[in-house]
Amino acid sequence: MRRTLLALWVTASLVIAACAGGDGATTAPESEPAGSPGTSPAASPGETAGGGGGFDPASITGTATLGQWESSPSERDALTSALEEFAAAYPNVTVEQETVAGDYRAQMITRFGAGNPPDLFYVNAEYAKDWIDEGFLLPLDDYIAQQGFDTSAYFEDYLNIFKGDDGKIYGLPKDGNTIAMAYNTDLVQTPPATIDELVSLAESLKGQGNLKAPLCLNPGLDRGLAFLYAQGGSLLSEDNSASQITTPESTAAIQWYMDLFKNGLGMTAADMGDGWCGEALGKGDAAIVFEGGWLVGFMKDSFPDTPYALAEMPVGSSGEKVTISYTAAYGIGVDSANPDPAWVVAQYLAGPEGMAAWTGGGIAVPSRSDVPVPEGFDAIVAGAEYSRPGSGFIRGYNDVQKAFQDAFTLEIQNQSFSADPVVAATDAAIQSALSR
Amino acid sequence: MAAARRVQPPPRIGARQEAIAGYALIAIPMALFLVLNIGSFLFAGYISVFDWHIRRGPEEFLGIANFQRALGDPQFQTAIRNSVYYTVIWVPLTMAVGLFLAVVVNQKIRGQTFFRAAFYFPAIASSAAITTVWIFLMAPDGLFNEVRTAAGLNPLFQALGYGPNHNWIGDHRTAMNTVIALNVWTTSGTFMLFYLASLQSISKEVYEAAAIDGADQWQAFWRITFPLLRPGHFFVATVGLIGGLQLFDQAVFAGGPNGDPANALMTVVLYLYNAMFIQIDPGYAAAIGIVLFVLIMSGTLIQRRLFGESPAW
Repeated sequence: MRRTLLALWVTASLVIAACAGGDGATTAPESEPAGSPGTSPAASPGETAGGGGGFDPASITGTATLGQWESSPSERDALTSALEEFAAAYPNVTVEQETVAGDYRAQMITRFGAGNPPDLFYVNAEYAKDWIDEGFLLPLDDYIAQQGFDTSAYFEDYLNIFKGDDGKIYGLPKDGNTIAMAYNTDLVQTPPATIDELVSLAESLKGQGNLKAPLCLNPGLDRGLAFLYAQGGSLLSEDNSASQITTPESTAAIQWYMDLFKNGLGMTAADMGDGWCGEALGKGDAAIVFEGGWLVGFMKDSFPDTPYALAEMPVGSSGEKVTISYTAAYGIGVDSANPDPAWVVAQYLAGPEGMAAWTGGGIAVPSRSDVPVPEGFDAIVAGAEYSRPGSGFIRGYNDVQKAFQDAFTLEIQNQSFSADPVVAATDAAIQSALSR
Repeated sequence: MAAARRVQPPPRIGARQEAIAGYALIAIPMALFLVLNIGSFLFAGYISVFDWHIRRGPEEFLGIANFQRALGDPQFQTAIRNSVYYTVIWVPLTMAVGLFLAVVVNQKIRGQTFFRAAFYFPAIASSAAITTVWIFLMAPDGLFNEVRTAAGLNPLFQALGYGPNHNWIGDHRTAMNTVIALNVWTTSGTFMLFYLASLQSISKEVYEAAAIDGADQWQAFWRITFPLLRPGHFFVATVGLIGGLQLFDQAVFAGGPNGDPANALMTVVLYLYNAMFIQIDPGYAAAIGIVLFVLIMSGTLIQRRLFGESPAW
């Protein structure tokens, strides 16, 4: 009996030692120069920096795996055509696609944990800060400097999301989206230019046709933040260091947003029986929704007969045009095996030609100002000039969003419609995110 | 171990080989069990006391701080409350429905095999698929709301505070109960199977004796079947409790990773998942896992006490 226990203990200790050893090993490369774990035959930027030479992507030979999510067949087609153009431009670098099915974020984290991420992969703005802080991503500054890659064409807000606290760039924005207003052109002839016009239009639409509500609204900051800004409120101070949700302007803005639900002008997609507001627009449950460029492909595929148009977000009491943006980037892992070929792929796909091929697929919008705007996306790209980030500007923003949405949902469902609990819950979440 | 002790005293020829063969046969599964189950359990305990990072490993020894943080977090308290509520309602309901189905299909009725298969069918459907079907059924303009309108039941629902287009999964007051209803439906087939096995182990003679004594069917069920099913009850209740406290997939399909609406579908395992994959805090996630283990372990021990000392099997 005792011997059995001893054996058990020894086995367990060995297991712990093995696991701990594995983790210990992964801590080492932290201090190594970028690219040194790579097996690519060409000189890595760490070495070329010493030699003082430049980095020529055309000189790189090798294979890079590309880990990416894929939300629709049209997205696959767009990526395929972009990669075909890449293959023509850089015949020496082969791209092996690895579509990550299911929960992309969770699967990538297990890959980082195993020290075996794809060479190049998508990084959503939502968790970019967390991945940078956790040391998953390779800073790209050496590549950028040595190749002389121009990052000035990126819309500033898109690029800033992928900068670490150290000021280094950890991802190249692959595309971007801003929230715009989509309206059913059968019901709305002229889109409202201001929030006041929006409200009076919604009042006149109430009860018309088969509308369940004039507006389809999300009970969270994923859209609400655009209205919070439009109505002069804010979440954080300019430098993201302090909460501003408790200011009278912010509270009033949240109350205004909630009153849309109270007065029957707005309804959540779930309460309309729809998966999201795009579906509500397509089915005619709502006349006006607030979505990004992803709506365009969806409407084309699922509701080609619903007439709609996109317009810029209405201007609120702040008096300035404002909306929020979402983006994702190409990132390279610190533990990626082939960083050099990965960079070659990234600088092409996030460069002017690759991005034109990718956004030409009609499912995404350029994150650079030097790429032509695909047809039908003008309102979305116009927003990029004045948008503010919709996620990822502080670490732990997910908790802030969740706190807001939980409290907001309770207020609507309990029909108490008060902004105060929402402000309190959101403020608490911001404080705890900032103190982390 | 028991086997080893029994063969020890008389050193017969062949006994040693027999023992070696026995150990050899269990060696691979045992090694896997030690590494994958016991090993990862111990490792989870180890990292739960650290500020652990996925790529960098341990950065700071925290002692019990991760546990304190969990127990002090209102969201975690909600998660525990939800998981316990789910288990306390779901397990007895599913046992009752499962036992009822088992007794029904145990009768000599025509199409017995068909009914057994039909009742068991939802259990073999993937939880993702069946939950998606359920979401459609319970949507504001879904089949359930349509049927109750057609059946003229709306005044009753109105009296309970639910409008004609009530969003059963989207409303925080009804979300968890809707998931409970789903899982009672899907799991009762499995419980039926367990009960069926137990039912068939009850000797016919007991019923014959009772019939001679003049017991009717109802008395036979409550005086004979139900008490003699005690090992079955214990087994089903234990399996149910362990599964119930680990509720995850139906909750995440219906409410997403945030446990929407308003944490109504936030369960302990979903909270653990978020700690790992959204907050990227493995030490904290491991601490949650340990708390869940303690919860399940104590629940099982309480059940054992309730059902009496070690059951027949």
